[in-house]
Amino acid sequence: MISRKQKSSNEERGDSMQARQKKSVNISTVFVLGILVCSLVPLFLKMDSLKLSNSFLQLNTIFLSILIEAIPFVLIGVLIAGFIQIFITEDHIRAWIPKNKFLAVLMSCIVGAAFPACECGIVPIVRRLIGKGVPLYAGVGFLLTGPLINPIVILSTYMAFGNDMEMAMLRMVVGFVAALAIALVVSVLFRSNQLKNAKEHSHSHTHVKKKQKQPLVPRISEMFKHSIDEFFDMSKYLIAGAFVAAFLQTYVSTQSLLQLGDTQFQSTFVMMALAFVLSLCSEADAFIGASFRNVFPTTSILAFLVYGPMIDFKNTIMLLSVFKAKFVVILFILITSIVFLFVTLSSLL
Amino acid sequence: MKFHFQHFLKALLLGLFTLFFANLHLTGDISKYINPKYDYMSKMAAILFFILLLIQLTRIWQEKHSHHACSHSCDHDHGNNHWSFKRIIGYSIVAFPIITGFMIPPATLDSSIAANKGFLLSQDNSEQKDEDTAAGSLMEDAESLVEKENIDIYSSDVDDIALPNENYVSESEYDEKFRLLQESDTIQMADDMFSTYYAEINDNPKSYAGKKIKMSGFVFKEEGFTGNQLVLSRFLITHCIADASIIGFLSEFNGADTIKEDTWVDIEGVLELGSYGGSELPIIKVTSLNVIDEPSEPYIYPVLKLLGN
Repeated sequence: MISRKQKSSNEERGDSMQARQKKSVNISTVFVLGILVCSLVPLFLKMDSLKLSNSFLQLNTIFLSILIEAIPFVLIGVLIAGFIQIFITEDHIRAWIPKNKFLAVLMSCIVGAAFPACECGIVPIVRRLIGKGVPLYAGVGFLLTGPLINPIVILSTYMAFGNDMEMAMLRMVVGFVAALAIALVVSVLFRSNQLKNAKEHSHSHTHVKKKQKQPLVPRISEMFKHSIDEFFDMSKYLIAGAFVAAFLQTYVSTQSLLQLGDTQFQSTFVMMALAFVLSLCSEADAFIGASFRNVFPTTSILAFLVYGPMIDFKNTIMLLSVFKAKFVVILFILITSIVFLFVTLSSLL
Repeated sequence: MKFHFQHFLKALLLGLFTLFFANLHLTGDISKYINPKYDYMSKMAAILFFILLLIQLTRIWQEKHSHHACSHSCDHDHGNNHWSFKRIIGYSIVAFPIITGFMIPPATLDSSIAANKGFLLSQDNSEQKDEDTAAGSLMEDAESLVEKENIDIYSSDVDDIALPNENYVSESEYDEKFRLLQESDTIQMADDMFSTYYAEINDNPKSYAGKKIKMSGFVFKEEGFTGNQLVLSRFLITHCIADASIIGFLSEFNGADTIKEDTWVDIEGVLELGSYGGSELPIIKVTSLNVIDEPSEPYIYPVLKLLGN
């Protein structure tokens, strides 16, 4: 708590305080990671006694399966991030992104919808794009629609609901409109890029121009080196998030959650909480959502399908490694309330 | 030239990740973690890790103050700096899944996970329970009850049952198997069509009442079951183990209470229309039962219809 307060007050004081701010960021990261390690040490001790409890075996299997599923997408993500870092200049981005805020948000959501990604692979890409000068609201639009709307997700949703296009269409349309709304609110609320270790931009300008003269091969090798560093940066948060998600699946009963959902409002919240906790890949969650058809109304299942790809446990931890904590909290509140609102509205149509 | 220990460490971890992913495929353990239908993604990951390893190797020995092409515009850790507590924790976290992945064998999901996820048919009224039944210590008690006749559960009328591994079925094959379900007197719950048959029987329990059924699965019980009730269940894996959902039929026979949870059994029985927790559902009246070993493919996967033929 103390370090977080210190951090936010430093932010307001501006650039001169950057050195100190960076230090406090480190402290808060160490704090989070420290808790994790403290919770892991007993597990290692348990391992020494060679009598692993059955529940830990189950937890470990779920944990590894989330990682095995997610790591290929993260690798693709960091390679694209490396590519952006080396080959895309800030001048390109300035030329591509419309000046008008609404048009920029619309464009980012459409590009995201055309871009096949999953919610963990997209975080390093968005980080790199925003670092290159893409406005925050456009980055958020891309972040939200990338995992939610793409051919694989649509196909799996179509199949999961008994080859019925209705749910897949609802998911796309409601998700797209909600993402637009969230990105627009972000464009009103935030002016700066909200990155954790924001650097001044003036430096990199001259720098990029110089770099363009480099031959192709060293630049490609440079791209891979960036990707490697990005992978080590991102993967520790992915691993931490996957572990917590596996822990919750093993020890927390989703069934007790389900008993809370009596009215439609309640069950919509329950399904959103479930989507957050389970941290499923957006390409697989449709089948889980479909299995609740005889328990909950369509609206609640739609909320599950729209909310999960936008934000969940493992992706929140990754976002916290990239953006300032205050921004992540506000983004979380925005996504939750706007998705809830739009899904509820869609049931009235 | 200087030896960079952190770059060496990163190379080591990349190498271990390469080995881990390659090993999963070589041993076939991959199917214990993800739906093998998607294994091309993890094969690709192994290759990418290997490429990154080769590039990382070139960074272990380099000049002391190599000029980095982007020292201003990027904000991540290039591993050239000094050690810190935070960094040690970071590397430990990355190493953690490799250590548990190599040292701890994959487990098959069991009824304790099933209890958390909930048996979907009876969710409305059932209480959650958290039972930790060890998957290993099974079947002593059940032995007396078991009939020793051998039922070949998978000798279905259709010859080429697709392996559950590659659960693609052509449109015509799918339709044929579906017709088989509706027309034949004995329903074979083979792995490839399990989820489809299951959904169909659950949706129209009346039209299947009275038919014979053969299936295998593991035993799962909920609180509130009577002594002659159990659920014969399977985990349905869409993508990875984390998205497993439990499906199964409520089964009834005298002596069900003597069979422990997580026991794998083959059963033969008759479908009836029953009710549980106020909702109608198909129930299997078991006529014969056989305790079996856990199959090498414990999970089932959703059917994917191939378009065309």
